[in-house]
Amino acid sequence: MSTDSPVDIREDLRLAHRLALAHVAAPGATLDGARRRRIGEVAIGAYLDPGPQPPWVPVYGDPLLDAARRLARFADTLTEAVYAQALAEGVEAVEWVEMVGVVIAAVAPTAFAHAAGLPILDLPTPGDGPPTGLIASPLVSATLNWVPVAAPADQTASVVQALSAVPAEWDNLWRLAEAQYMSDAQMSDPLWNRGTLSRPQMELVAGRLSLVRRCFF
Amino acid sequence: MMLSWSSSEDGHPAEVGVLLTGEGDGGVPFGSELLRFVDASANGNNGPGEGAGGWVEELEAARRALVAATTVEFMVDAAAVIANFEMMTRVADGTGARFPSEIKAVGDSSTWTSADRGTA
Repeated sequence: MSTDSPVDIREDLRLAHRLALAHVAAPGATLDGARRRRIGEVAIGAYLDPGPQPPWVPVYGDPLLDAARRLARFADTLTEAVYAQALAEGVEAVEWVEMVGVVIAAVAPTAFAHAAGLPILDLPTPGDGPPTGLIASPLVSATLNWVPVAAPADQTASVVQALSAVPAEWDNLWRLAEAQYMSDAQMSDPLWNRGTLSRPQMELVAGRLSLVRRCFF
Repeated sequence: MMLSWSSSEDGHPAEVGVLLTGEGDGGVPFGSELLRFVDASANGNNGPGEGAGGWVEELEAARRALVAATTVEFMVDAAAVIANFEMMTRVADGTGARFPSEIKAVGDSSTWTSADRGTA
């Protein structure tokens, strides 16, 4: 513990993070639990690594794991060419979307614990069973994202449709967003808050973090 | 710009340039403590040669300063917002998310018109 006072975590936030880590280790649309847990492990390790290899180094010699490492630690270096190279090396587009969903599910609780000075949560043991095969249909190309999305494309914001190809990843993303930040409905109220940070204080944190991460959003 | 919008609606328009500099408070209560906390958290793992080792003490100091100025609950919710945007920036970067205006700028005829940016 790095603060002088006990840290009491909101139950909704604690639950969202616990569910996210369970989600990482459960069978997904195209990847089994062991593969997803390995991606989560790589992401957490990369996020916390005090001296990582440069982003372009294929540390794992496995295109999906190397992409997970890069996304977790050097997200702003991912380009459409990197994505295309991964596809050329055998990664399926939907696998890539699922990998993004797994990385963010692992990074969010880790980033929270890192910032708040709390112990990093462990990933659960992998869930048994084959991939679920639950993929949106039909999938279509989008102009607002590289990745395929659930039809119809480009009818909503790019970050909203980003993981729509894999409904379980989409659901986990927005459950985390509601607990960590706010729901869609709350977002339309510029003064909504939880009684701790005001909305401008939340947006100050959001804006600065995005800038430090060199993300245009 | 969500900071500009929310702070204007709040009756105290923020100086949004503070997002670029990270210095001062931007006219937002506890703004300087929040910015220090964000930078310490993010810069602890911002790339090769800037490893967490050199930033552990600064992150602890920034966290303590924020708690001293506010409350533990405030710090926890600030950490949750940090986590959310560590997540959303990766969703955007990992899927090649773009604004419709970027598409229009290169001549695309997209009809998407919503100004909603999602939560990112």
